[in-house]
Amino acid sequence: MHRAVRHFALLATVFVATSGYAADGKTTGPHGEAPTPAGTFALTAAEEQQVKDGKFTAALVWHEMSEYTNAVNSGAHDEFKRLGVEVVAQTDAGFDAARQKSDVETVLAKKPSIILSLPVDPATAAVVYDPARTAGVKLAFVDNSPAGYEHGKDYVTIVSDDLFQMGNKAAVAMADALGGKGKLGYIYHDADFYVTNQRDGAFKSTIEQDYPDMKIVAEAGMADPARSEEIAQGMITQNPDLDGIYVTWAEPALSVLSTLRGAGNSHTKIVTLDLNEPAALDMVKGGNIAALVADEAYNIGVTAARAAAGSLVGKTAEPFLVVDSLAVTKATVADGWKKSLNKDVPATIADAMK
Amino acid sequence: MSSAHSSASGQPASLVNRLNLQQYVVYLGFLVIFLFFAIVLKDSGFLTVRNLSNIMLQTAPVTIMAIGLVFVMSAGEIDLSIGSTVAVSALAAAVTVNDYGLGAGIIAGIGAGLLIGLLNGVLVAYVKLPSFLVTLATLGLFAGVSRSMTNLRSIPVTDSTFTGFFGSGSFLGVPSLIWWTVVAVACGHVIYRETRFGAHVLATGDNSRAASVSGISVPRIRLAVLLISGGLAGLAGLLYAGRLQAAKYTLGETDLMTVIAAVIVGGTLLNGGKGTIIGALVGSLMMGMLNNGLILMGLSVSDQMIVRGLIILAAVAVSLREKSR
Repeated sequence: MHRAVRHFALLATVFVATSGYAADGKTTGPHGEAPTPAGTFALTAAEEQQVKDGKFTAALVWHEMSEYTNAVNSGAHDEFKRLGVEVVAQTDAGFDAARQKSDVETVLAKKPSIILSLPVDPATAAVVYDPARTAGVKLAFVDNSPAGYEHGKDYVTIVSDDLFQMGNKAAVAMADALGGKGKLGYIYHDADFYVTNQRDGAFKSTIEQDYPDMKIVAEAGMADPARSEEIAQGMITQNPDLDGIYVTWAEPALSVLSTLRGAGNSHTKIVTLDLNEPAALDMVKGGNIAALVADEAYNIGVTAARAAAGSLVGKTAEPFLVVDSLAVTKATVADGWKKSLNKDVPATIADAMK
Repeated sequence: MSSAHSSASGQPASLVNRLNLQQYVVYLGFLVIFLFFAIVLKDSGFLTVRNLSNIMLQTAPVTIMAIGLVFVMSAGEIDLSIGSTVAVSALAAAVTVNDYGLGAGIIAGIGAGLLIGLLNGVLVAYVKLPSFLVTLATLGLFAGVSRSMTNLRSIPVTDSTFTGFFGSGSFLGVPSLIWWTVVAVACGHVIYRETRFGAHVLATGDNSRAASVSGISVPRIRLAVLLISGGLAGLAGLLYAGRLQAAKYTLGETDLMTVIAAVIVGGTLLNGGKGTIIGALVGSLMMGMLNNGLILMGLSVSDQMIVRGLIILAAVAVSLREKSR
């Protein structure tokens, strides 16, 4: 009896500790799924041959096109090519759920065996993908899945970044750049969007929990990247002594950078997410950008394509596969580019590094 | 201003040629593009009934907005606010239909569109501000309103009568979106072509001073066309909400340029005095067919955008060249 109580107490402690860790320091899937490293999903030679023999086809139904989506897209293309799966259509919904619904309907005319997609609006995306699901198309998602869809039955898997790790690495990179102390500005994505919300939250909680000498003294939400320059302007006018600014992703970070340059400010460091050529160029030239945290976007495409192809020959994938991320600094920019986007660092940056 | 009215003074023989060409440019363009895709994509599902009906379903909201814009542009005005009106109406309908039922949802959705149209109309017709600037301002204003209405959240529409009536249902075997398109085009065409109001709209766009002298209340016409445009954008919002069974602030955001292109390619003059509802329908179907066909051709997204832009440019160049001769 005594032993049973001890066991129970131990289990309870483990449960509390694990839950705490899950809330504080671990990426969970959009529906609470436990993460599985993407590298653990592999096809055997026999399964690959089966896929090749199947003469399957795939459509790529993206939410928008950016450098990130391009990298995912190119990973998916390469993996499908390797597996003998023909990509028959590719679309860009421009972040519009109605257009994404039209895109799904349109690509179905080509009767693809697979659709890889990133849902624009997961809360209501079931209506968007239902025609494909009903037609028996294998669906594999990036970052999120439609609410109400069941893993294994309605879709193959979700492949995503290790979102907590990205926000966390951004905080660590900021701390490294500032020597572990200073005043911070925090520009987060002000939208109900799982990916950015998780990353932003991880940055903030890491700073608050792990770096007592670093304080977020200014916060601003950004809903529209086109307005980020005005947001940055306001933040810098009110807090001219900021040591660092976190920006939710690279495109608005460029606006923040231009605001700092315009104000003649070379002191405030910027840490942001995703690789971006102008931002990286500023970083290697010793400008305001201190670090860019990037995911292995190319690998997301490879993994999603592989998992979807595997499902056609009966191979099941875990519900939430995550790829690694890396903090790219001036010293690691060439390796980072290769690892994240599977490309050589752009010539402008290579030249600047010489 | 080049228009059917002013061209009446030309040579009889060239008039016939000109009118025929003008009238058929959009149809010829439509046919050429259709035949091109039919041949190139014969094995890619383009000609299936399912795919062709998809094109019609997908273009329904754009067609409805295009009808409103034909009235506005024929009167020599422009309505840039339609993109935001769609989102506000869809959200207003979604929130209301979930809480107060079908009738309230429809009234809220269309009502929101009419109110935005009324605001635009009053500012243009009675405060005498240019419609381009007024609707540019209200485009931004209501984009902000739609974002704040539900704090950027998307709202599911759970009322199956609403979603059936406005987007996903069918009547006599024909999808409701096609019914809406047919009804709106028929009503729009009759009002535009066969009523005194339609003639007054054209006269206002052709020469507002002359229209005023001849006893037409120009401000009232300007108010009316912007009201129609707002109401129809509201209806488009309901169709989107019905089709997606949800509403979000992003609905309609990307439609403005497509609607303007559909209307102009369809044969309506940008500066007023001449227009066609049937042409706008064909223009809208042409835009939908282009999106569909270029995707089915397996082009990359960037290539799709480049080719679409070039085809629209060619279509506009051909139709405008004909009109200015």
